[in-house]
Amino acid sequence: MNCSSDLIEAYMDGELDPASKATVEEHLSTCQACLEAHARFRKQSASIRAAAPYYTAPAHLQQSVREALRRAAVNERPTAVRNMPWRWVAIAATVLLAISVSWNFRRPQGQTAERDLIAQNVLSDHIRSMIGTHLLDVPSTDQHTVKPWFNGKLDFSPDVKDFAAQGFPLIGGRLDYLTDRTVAALVYRRRQHVINLFTWPSDSTPVNDRHFSRNGYNAVHWTYRSMTCWAVSDIGMNELEQFKDLYEK
Amino acid sequence: MIKCDALAQNWKDDCFATNGVGSYDRRDAPPTRLPLMSNSEVSPESRLQLFEELIIPHLGAAHNLARWLTRNEQDACDVVQEAYMRAFRFFDGYKGGDGKYWLLEIVRNTSFTWLRRERRNLQAVPFDERSHGSVSEANQEDELVAAADLSVLRNCIETLPVAFREVVILRELEEMSYRQIAEVSNLPIGTVMSRLSRARKRLEECASGRIVESDK
Repeated sequence: MNCSSDLIEAYMDGELDPASKATVEEHLSTCQACLEAHARFRKQSASIRAAAPYYTAPAHLQQSVREALRRAAVNERPTAVRNMPWRWVAIAATVLLAISVSWNFRRPQGQTAERDLIAQNVLSDHIRSMIGTHLLDVPSTDQHTVKPWFNGKLDFSPDVKDFAAQGFPLIGGRLDYLTDRTVAALVYRRRQHVINLFTWPSDSTPVNDRHFSRNGYNAVHWTYRSMTCWAVSDIGMNELEQFKDLYEK
Repeated sequence: MIKCDALAQNWKDDCFATNGVGSYDRRDAPPTRLPLMSNSEVSPESRLQLFEELIIPHLGAAHNLARWLTRNEQDACDVVQEAYMRAFRFFDGYKGGDGKYWLLEIVRNTSFTWLRRERRNLQAVPFDERSHGSVSEANQEDELVAAADLSVLRNCIETLPVAFREVVILRELEEMSYRQIAEVSNLPIGTVMSRLSRARKRLEECASGRIVESDK
């Protein structure tokens, strides 16, 4: 018997394209030996998973890794900073503290803190969407496909617009979860860069646009027709502003 | 119906050489670009923060792989620690994609370096006769037999040569696709498949008590 054990295994491992998969399935329906081999492989695979423990890392490991990383990061810092006389560092720290205290005094603290928190979340969300596999739930360049897709998934209907003509083509949308609520994420492209536009009904007073930056990512925040909008990308702030202006038109 | 030979041949020619094999039931993300990585102006603090955000969450997988490759808890912890330091040093080389596979590749290489340096563990752990011998004398209840079978099988996995053990762990415990295993282990996808296949054959023989494998 010359049946291919490799092929049966690849089939079991879910590695075949649909056409080869169909061929194997057809073959399995007529070849007793391969059918048995397939059953044996499946049983073995289940047994391996049951027999081989997934060794859990001891609690101290993560801590010691984090500490070692922090030490390594400190050593990377430019020597000028490390060699700075302590006195100057102390004075600088005191001045900074004084500034930040008086700054917080003058501002409505709650709102600012909340906005900063949202900014953090929005930026992290953007980075996650770029790294993981989950950038788009509905890949489409057609605003009339993307907008209805959100129906029934959100308690609001986001404004979906396409700016392909202006160099910001819509490429799709997805559902996202931010600050304890589900929001719409509209995804646009600017040259090779991705822009995430997060939007949800505004529950606070309208704001003028505000800018945030972290690790080379920029975010613009504004309110439009009583919707909170956050646009995030690694393109420059002026281009994000341009994008915002287009959206508000 | 297609003849087995023809089927195998077709598959090798048509699918394997092109894209027929590889990750059809899994999601392989195309590598996404991380623009900030190349930016040398990123401060050490934000670099560390990003590293912690992206790479630390995979510590569990890193430890499990190191533990299976080194077969020793203390060694596994040392390997993970060393791998993380290496990963941090070469973080600029991370171009996006799933951080887990990027990290596992480093863990894997660190483990192998470790094994070579230690010059032990490449020798087989002496086969444990006890776990083989007492099954028939034990209670005949199915559950006990099954438990004994599993402990035999576990022993067989432990004593597989490390090159085979690696693909079994990545496939069955991490549920990685052939392509992902190939990337992590720096092997051609065909080698991954043949190793996995040979590993399964060895395990089958070992678990049924026919042959006691020894490492080369």
